[in-house]
Amino acid sequence: MTRLVEVPAQFDDRSFDQFAGVFADANKDDERLLFDAHAAEWASPYGLVGLLAAGQAARRAAAAGTVERPLLTAPTNADVLSYWARAGFFREAAELFEIHGKVPRARAAEESEVLLPVTPVRAAEDVHAVVSKIQQRASAILASELSLDPKATMGFAMALSEACQNIVEHAGTGGWVAVQAYHWRRKLARRVVVIAVADAGVGFRHSLEPTQSKRFGDRWGDAAALEAALVQGVSRFRDPGRGQGLAGIRRYLVRWDGKIAIRSGTARIAIVPKWDDDVPLKDGLPPFPGAQVLIIIPEQGSAER
Amino acid sequence: MIQYIDMHAVLQASVSGVYADLVTRPTGRVVRERIEQAIAGRERTGEVTVARMDFTGVGCIDYSCADEIVAKLLRDRPAVLVLSGITDGHREAIEPVLSGHGLAALIERPDGTLEVLGAAAAAAALLDELVARRFAARTPGGSYALTLA
Repeated sequence: MTRLVEVPAQFDDRSFDQFAGVFADANKDDERLLFDAHAAEWASPYGLVGLLAAGQAARRAAAAGTVERPLLTAPTNADVLSYWARAGFFREAAELFEIHGKVPRARAAEESEVLLPVTPVRAAEDVHAVVSKIQQRASAILASELSLDPKATMGFAMALSEACQNIVEHAGTGGWVAVQAYHWRRKLARRVVVIAVADAGVGFRHSLEPTQSKRFGDRWGDAAALEAALVQGVSRFRDPGRGQGLAGIRRYLVRWDGKIAIRSGTARIAIVPKWDDDVPLKDGLPPFPGAQVLIIIPEQGSAER
Repeated sequence: MIQYIDMHAVLQASVSGVYADLVTRPTGRVVRERIEQAIAGRERTGEVTVARMDFTGVGCIDYSCADEIVAKLLRDRPAVLVLSGITDGHREAIEPVLSGHGLAALIERPDGTLEVLGAAAAAAALLDELVARRFAARTPGGSYALTLA
C-alpha cells in the first residue's frame, strides 16, 4: 500500500508543521510514501530542502538490500515547476524520489533570486564549495539589494558555513542548503535573504544527549536540546571551543536584525526580531527527523525602499 | 626572530581544490597542525614562540576555524600571535573566539603599529609582556610596534 503525504500549496516554515504531521502519520506504518506536490503554488527554500529531508527519511529498505524510493508528484503549474527546477530541487530530488510528472531540464540558476541553488552538504569539502560559491555570487547582491555593508556580507558567509557544518558534524547523514533573495511582501515589505538548511539525521536531542541530558533531568527533550544548543551554546563535544558556530550566527543576526529558527524532532526554537511575530520556543510539534534551520536577513534601513 | 606563516599558502597546501576560505573544523585542524609543525623547532629551544600569521589572500574565516587555529595555538603553548593582512571580516570571527577563551593576540596594521585583539585582561597582559621582553616598544605616536624582525 502507498500512503499519501500532501505537500502544502504554500510550502514554507509556517506550513511545515502541517506537512510534518501528515508525514509522521504516513511514515509510521513503513509503507511506501507518495509526496503529492501537484497542487503546489509556491515553496520557500525551507520548504524545498525540508521536502528533500522527508524524502531522505522515507527511503526504506526493500528486498535484497535495495532501497525503495518514495514517489513524488511534481507540481503541475508551469511557473512553479520552472522555479523548483531553477532552484535546483529536482536535481537532488531525482536521487531520492521516483518522480512523476514532467520535469523541466535543470538549468544553471542565472536569476538573482537564487543565490545558491539547493546544494547537498555531506562533508567539509561541500561547505568549502558552498562558501566559495556564495561569496562569488552573493556579495554584490547583498550590498546593492539589501544595503548590507561589506562586513555583513563576510558575516553572511560565516553564518552560512556554520549552519552547513551542523549537518557535517552532528547529523550523521547528509543534508541540503539553499539561499535565496526575494521581496517579502507579506511580512516585511522588504527584500530578504533566506538561508535554509535541512537534514533527516539524528537531530539535536540525540546529538547532545550523552553530554547534556543529565543536566536537564526530567526537562530533557527536543526543546531542551535546542535551547542548550542555541541559547547556551553547548555542543556534544567536550572541547571548550565548541558551540562557537550557533553563538556566532546569533551574534551576527542580532547585529543585522535577522532571525534564526531551528526545528528538530518535536520542537522549534527561534531568535525572534522585532519585525516578526514568531514564538521563541514551541514544543509538542509533530515529529520530524533531523534538523531544519531557517535564517532570514532583512534589507537594512527604510522599510519603504 | 619571528616565524612567518603565510596562511593562504598553508590553506592551499591543506585542502584539495582551490579554496581561499578558512572554513570548517577539519580544515582548521589540518591548518593548525601544519603551523604547529612549523613552530615546533622553536618550541624545543624553550623560547616563546612569536609567529606572524599573514592572512593576505584568505577570503572568509568562520568561527569554527578561528577557534581551531588561533585559539588552540594560543591555548596549547606559550605563544604570541601577530596577525597581519587582517580584514574586518577576519576580525569579526577571531575576536569573539579569543574573548570567549580569555585569550589575546596582536594585529599588525599596515603601518607596523600593533593593536590587541581579544579579552581585555589578556590583551593588557600580552602588551606588558611584549614590552618587558623587548619584543615590542612604544612608537613616537604613542602606539606599539614590534622590535623583532
